[in-house]
Amino acid sequence: MRLLPLLTAPLEGHGWGMPHDASLDGWRIDDLINETSLFVILLFVIMVAWMLWACFRHGERHQARFDHGSSPGSIAVALGIAGAIFFVVDGHLFINSVLVWKHVFGNFAWAETQPGAVRIEINAHQWVWAVRYSGPDGKFGTRDDIITLNDVTVPQGVPVIFQVASTDVLHGFNIPNMRVKMDAVPGMINRVWFVAKETGQFDIGCAQHCGANHYKMRGVLTVLPREEWERWAAVASANSAVAYDPEDNDAHWAWDWEKHARL
Amino acid sequence: MTAGVASILRYRAPRSRSDATAWLGMILFLGSWTMLFAALFAAYGVLRLRSPQWPPPDVPRLPILLPGANTLAMVASSVALQRALRFARRGRLPAVLPAISAAFVLGWIFLAGQVALWFNLWRAGLRPDGGPFPSVFYGLTVFHGLHVLVGLFGLGWLVTRAAKASFGPTRHVGLRLWCGYWHFVGVIWVLLYFTLFVL
Amino acid sequence: MHTIESEDLQPIHPEPTSFWLKYVFSRDHKVIAKQFLWAGLLFLFVGGTLAMMIRWQWAFPGKPVPVLGSVLLRDQGGAIGPATYMTVFTMHGLIMIFFAITPILIGAFGNYCIPLMIGARDMAFPTLNLLSFWTFVISLVLVICSFFGQLGAAGAGWTTYPPLSTNIGTPGSGQTFMVAAIFVTGVSTIMGGINYVTTVIRHRAPGMTYMRMPLTVWGLWLTAVLNVLFVPVLGSAALLLFLDRVFGTQFFIAGAAAVRGGGDPILFQHLFWIFGHPEVYILILPAWGIVGDILSFFSRKPANWYRGSVYAMCVVTILSAVVYGHHMFMTGMNPLLGQGFMLLTLIISVPAEILFLNWLRTMWQGSIRLHPPMLFAIGMVFVFGLGGLTGLYLGATATDIYLHDTMFVVGHFHLTMAAASFMGSLAAIYFWFPKMFGRRMSEPLGKIHFWWSAVFITLVFTGQLISGYAGQNRRLYNPYEYTFLKHLLPLNRWTSYSAFILMAGQLVFVWNFIHSLVAGARAEMNPWQVGTLEWSIASPPPHHNYDVIPTVLRGPHELADPLVREKLGRDWIGQDEPLLEQTPGTSAPAAAAGRG
Repeated sequence: MRLLPLLTAPLEGHGWGMPHDASLDGWRIDDLINETSLFVILLFVIMVAWMLWACFRHGERHQARFDHGSSPGSIAVALGIAGAIFFVVDGHLFINSVLVWKHVFGNFAWAETQPGAVRIEINAHQWVWAVRYSGPDGKFGTRDDIITLNDVTVPQGVPVIFQVASTDVLHGFNIPNMRVKMDAVPGMINRVWFVAKETGQFDIGCAQHCGANHYKMRGVLTVLPREEWERWAAVASANSAVAYDPEDNDAHWAWDWEKHARL
Repeated sequence: MTAGVASILRYRAPRSRSDATAWLGMILFLGSWTMLFAALFAAYGVLRLRSPQWPPPDVPRLPILLPGANTLAMVASSVALQRALRFARRGRLPAVLPAISAAFVLGWIFLAGQVALWFNLWRAGLRPDGGPFPSVFYGLTVFHGLHVLVGLFGLGWLVTRAAKASFGPTRHVGLRLWCGYWHFVGVIWVLLYFTLFVL
Repeated sequence: MHTIESEDLQPIHPEPTSFWLKYVFSRDHKVIAKQFLWAGLLFLFVGGTLAMMIRWQWAFPGKPVPVLGSVLLRDQGGAIGPATYMTVFTMHGLIMIFFAITPILIGAFGNYCIPLMIGARDMAFPTLNLLSFWTFVISLVLVICSFFGQLGAAGAGWTTYPPLSTNIGTPGSGQTFMVAAIFVTGVSTIMGGINYVTTVIRHRAPGMTYMRMPLTVWGLWLTAVLNVLFVPVLGSAALLLFLDRVFGTQFFIAGAAAVRGGGDPILFQHLFWIFGHPEVYILILPAWGIVGDILSFFSRKPANWYRGSVYAMCVVTILSAVVYGHHMFMTGMNPLLGQGFMLLTLIISVPAEILFLNWLRTMWQGSIRLHPPMLFAIGMVFVFGLGGLTGLYLGATATDIYLHDTMFVVGHFHLTMAAASFMGSLAAIYFWFPKMFGRRMSEPLGKIHFWWSAVFITLVFTGQLISGYAGQNRRLYNPYEYTFLKHLLPLNRWTSYSAFILMAGQLVFVWNFIHSLVAGARAEMNPWQVGTLEWSIASPPPHHNYDVIPTVLRGPHELADPLVREKLGRDWIGQDEPLLEQTPGTSAPAAAAGRG
């Protein structure tokens, strides 16, 4: 619905619009924001117009009406308007939010069971994203795990599921172009997933104040076509296995995926 | 019939309006402090529930007897202070000073017992930086202990006032207010004792 | 419940004569109010300066700050570095909330207005009032100490989330001093809250039923109730954080630094926001009340559906604590819990809508006089309307995914909290200045101040909303590190220019305020021609306020009554002013007493 942003906001990816949405499901959030904006702008304009009219037409020369506004009719109008706004605007937001979370953003059961789904563990530090892929054996914490820093490479068109953790302070794993965000909390393992619709390179940012270099905690999300990703993963995994150092305990920061998948 | 009932009910001097105002302020203060301690108890609850084992296996055990004795001292102190209030209300003025003094002494016994408790556990190796368990233990009991100390200053003041025979059926608002505070501190301790030491 | 308070129970005390007891250690609510006002205005200026530094950094990243840089940032070549930047936005937030708005709206206007508007001679506990102010001063000292910390002032954001706010993330005395300052100011606020709640319950003049209290008093009273109940929860969070920092406890430390399992950082967030959400209502309820009254006074007609406004404010007060989870949607909470918080958050918008409708309908069919208090009251309705509507997106779990931690949140709370309280505070200052100081402020300068502020406030905070919509995250030293934000430099620069101009415009107010204090025209007893009780005594009032405790006969907004116009020849009547002559031999004035 490209008309909708035109009525309410700049088009995404343009000027001051939202960043380009490269995900499969991000449009649900965008649409909800823009639909709500229609109501919001309408209500705001009515409110301002009302006040301007009152100031100009009911000014000093106008005779004030002695009305407490507490007649049953008056109260009914107030409650009616408030109720209408609540059920229409708030109701629309509420119902759609619930549906979106249930069927999409919270629907790990679906994401995890899709063939070809990719699983990635993210360990957020001050001030870098440590990234781990399970490699061909499908297990985390083994020789063939691909480990990168600030570099998340994913295939297009399949669910990519993240488990995010932190060992020092709170961080926020944020990929605006995929419309996903989730805090990385020490002592907890949080989850988030998306499906990339388009290939390309996108920013990963930190969405929770984490110290002096919070602003520099930038990662890069690279989305490759599936076959290209498979090739990349094979090569990266082989390289990792070669570079694997059993003595390097700091590098062995993995956790049991299944235990935290909570399916 | 009603006259008979009325004669059975004890006479209470009418409370002055400014006393009632002071009491309302105290209720609000206690409400506020209840929220503070409720939040602290909630924090304790959260930390305990998410902990795999409580107490953790490798920390010194908390005793039950010494804090139990302290609890009795605290309860006795509250009882003594409440009796002092009742004596003042009923006009039994000579009994007020001994009752307040008993509350005062019992309060100090409680605090001394707490200090002994902390000293023993510290020597046994329980330190605040040893994880959530000692954090909760020291954090809550020491914070409570500070409130006891404040209460003891109040009780001390009450002793000096009682020595000058300042309390009577219509002049006891200060005593009543400190009673409220002291009972509050006592109830918090009883809850702490059961949730920290017994459970 | 007793509402009648006779003369004997509020005896007239002689005014103290010594300078120290009269102006420094005063127990007079009017003096204490002014003390809070000076302290609040001073720290409002400090907080505003910090805001200008943030805006400078976003407009000219890494460039030396003019004037301030050479004074405050010499060791960094005059520019703001990343570590300093953290302390700037942290201290800006903490100072504005706890040490600017709170003392101005609650400390100053709460103290000043409550006894006067309910017909009392002072607060219920004048000595507690004195202690409340001086405890606040101790917290100010701690704030100043924080600036001199070796490793800088507090830097973990005003929200002070651990583990960043523990020694792991932010070592140094600066952060510790601020945690202590928050605890101490909390104690001061609770003392004040107890005083306000008790005073309203016990010291209302005869005839001043709850439903005849000015909306200002309702707003301040409900604020005090929230303060009494929820500031202690902040106290608990601050206390536990203090213990973590100073004694090495592990209430909130998790991850690598945890000992035997450690604590729970999210526990802090729960405790903080159980306080934090009521806090935003604490900061706005006084302004809601003040605006409700001022809109009526300057539309020269009664406040629309007074009871509805009172009920709405009460419902907001009651619901305020159960909506707090919307600040934590992104912490990984169970989606079902998120839905619960979302539902409650959306419900709390209904009473706010009622308030709005009442304000709008008060103005309608009125006889609007656009004096500065009215301009600022209308301004508050405008900014709170815009800000409140933007809250909808943030209260819904789906839209919050994108908007959480962006400048959209910052724009939202600046509009609803900063801009709205700013407008409300200024409406209050312009309105009660004649009563407080016995002089008139300049009207033309007041109007210039309003338009200057309103235009640039709208530009600055709309600029924030837009940059947030475009995805700019909060608290970024240099947003342009990100590819998707690089193009926002012009937007941020124009927003910053608006902010600088906004700040500059406040000089008009400072000049007006100070000049009027020393050389303004003398104010008469009731320059605004309204009926609330404080306008029935001299400007400024005598030490004991009322020579005779008034007997209240009607509500606070009896304006435009045709019967009053017929009998008294004006469109207003005092709350305690008899309307119909007493028939000889009877006691009470007749029918007019029943109205309102």
